[in-house]
Amino acid sequence: MEFILNTIRRIDNDQVKEFTFGTEQSLEEKLAVCFINPKDFDKLNLVSSLHLKISNKEKHVIVKIEKDDNVPAGTVTMPVSIWSNRLSEVLNNELLYKNVAVNVEATREPILKFKEIIQELLVKK
Amino acid sequence: MKRFACSGCSLLCDDIIVKSDGLFVSEVIGACLKGKERFDQATSQNRITKPLVRKDGELKEVSWDEALERTIQIVKKSSNPVLYGFSNVTCEAQEAGIKLAKKIDGFIDSNASICQGKFLNKAKSHGINLTTITEIINKGDLIILWGANPAETIPRLLNKVLFSRGKFRMTGREIKTLVIIDPVKSASFNVMGVRDLSLMIEPDKDIELIRMLKEECCSADSIPSEGVAGMDKDDLKRLLLHLTGAENGVIILGQGVIQPHPDYDLVEELLDLLQMINERQEKGRISLLLMGGHFNMAGFDHVALSSHGVFGKLEFKDNQLVKTKATFVSKIEKKDFDSSIIVGTDPISHLPFSLSSKIAKKPLILIDNHRTATSHVAEVVLPTAITGIESGGLAYRLDQVPIELHKIINPPNNLPSDEELLNQLYELLNKGGSE
Repeated sequence: MEFILNTIRRIDNDQVKEFTFGTEQSLEEKLAVCFINPKDFDKLNLVSSLHLKISNKEKHVIVKIEKDDNVPAGTVTMPVSIWSNRLSEVLNNELLYKNVAVNVEATREPILKFKEIIQELLVKK
Repeated sequence: MKRFACSGCSLLCDDIIVKSDGLFVSEVIGACLKGKERFDQATSQNRITKPLVRKDGELKEVSWDEALERTIQIVKKSSNPVLYGFSNVTCEAQEAGIKLAKKIDGFIDSNASICQGKFLNKAKSHGINLTTITEIINKGDLIILWGANPAETIPRLLNKVLFSRGKFRMTGREIKTLVIIDPVKSASFNVMGVRDLSLMIEPDKDIELIRMLKEECCSADSIPSEGVAGMDKDDLKRLLLHLTGAENGVIILGQGVIQPHPDYDLVEELLDLLQMINERQEKGRISLLLMGGHFNMAGFDHVALSSHGVFGKLEFKDNQLVKTKATFVSKIEKKDFDSSIIVGTDPISHLPFSLSSKIAKKPLILIDNHRTATSHVAEVVLPTAITGIESGGLAYRLDQVPIELHKIINPPNNLPSDEELLNQLYELLNKGGSE
């Protein structure tokens, strides 16, 4: 299903805080997550044990889902992080962090680990 | 107990009381959650206190001599380096970074270029007024948060500008109207009072609101009865009334408004609207305040302007400044670089994967004080003291006001400040090696 992705900053899901004080586990706990309107949660037949696969033309990310009444229907929000930035884009030499067209689907696949993303970055070094 | 400025964010609150014996900070009074976290960074478990060099694919602790030698090797081998970050360091360190860039014929840019810097450039050409925190406190009567959520990014901003009592007004919060325009009901909505105006705009529809307001400025009753972009007609009329009637209004802009779009330039359109409103204003004006996260986001542009007469990015060839149309993003996108020196920031987390993957594939030297995603891909990590706690210097607040930061305690392992380290690299290159 097509959605709009907005990356946001939240004080409880802050990457600097997690990198400074947390562990890889807490980093994934707090940042590999997306927030979705409860109506969309039901529309996608989601349950709390499922994860969400969010994709654009080039990349995808698998993250936890949390219901949030404050997120408008038809959109998902993700805290700014290495996970959300797999989907942010470059447009005319500027960075597009908001209103990114994405496709979302429920999945049983595990969330993308921090180590996996780093390995992907390092692999062709 | 002494009063210090806080380097937790770009608000640089200068009313933080710190109790310290010069070795440890034992109490911090008056800081917000982000400020307290900044002070806690000094003893955090992920603090880097020794230099690291990548060996057999893994970062290993090494001596300063070895780390500097590896750094100089990478720099000498590079003919097209980019230097990036410089928003979490002092102006003195920014100056040292520019000096280093000149020495190594590099391209240097700060985080501001992907944030408030690009707005400032356009605002200058339109002649729109920027404002200061003090002016909003003393004279402000209308505060509009447009795509901005200061409650979670610059936590004390609203305390200062919305709830404070000004010198030139008998009242404070009572006469200040807050308007929030945002598609997401952020934490900042929680401070709204009964006479404030909450405008939940549909995502990606800011342009419709701006164009409608521009039309409404020219001809009355141009708002369609069904409203615009999910907002009620009466609310939009109230918004226009506030915009044209405020004595001292300010629009605080966040990332939400400075996003690119293939068909139009939202920033240009917004600046046009403000110009129209200010021309129509009879008794007051609307000005701008730009949000920036890093504590010295505004500083780099001031330093570049004062040292080289250029706003923002600088490129050097044959140790001379050259004109360039390139931006940090275009350099990375076109792979027009062969190494990077990253100072006090985490581009591997902050940038889209299409860019971070390109940065990670070239030798990367990181100057920072704690682990980040960027430290995981760096060739060399050079740790430094935490500015505003373990070293001092000048920083520019988000409203372009300079604030002095002070050293409170000594850094662990006598870590150098960013300025000292960048100057040391410059000296080593001057001497021809790391000795």
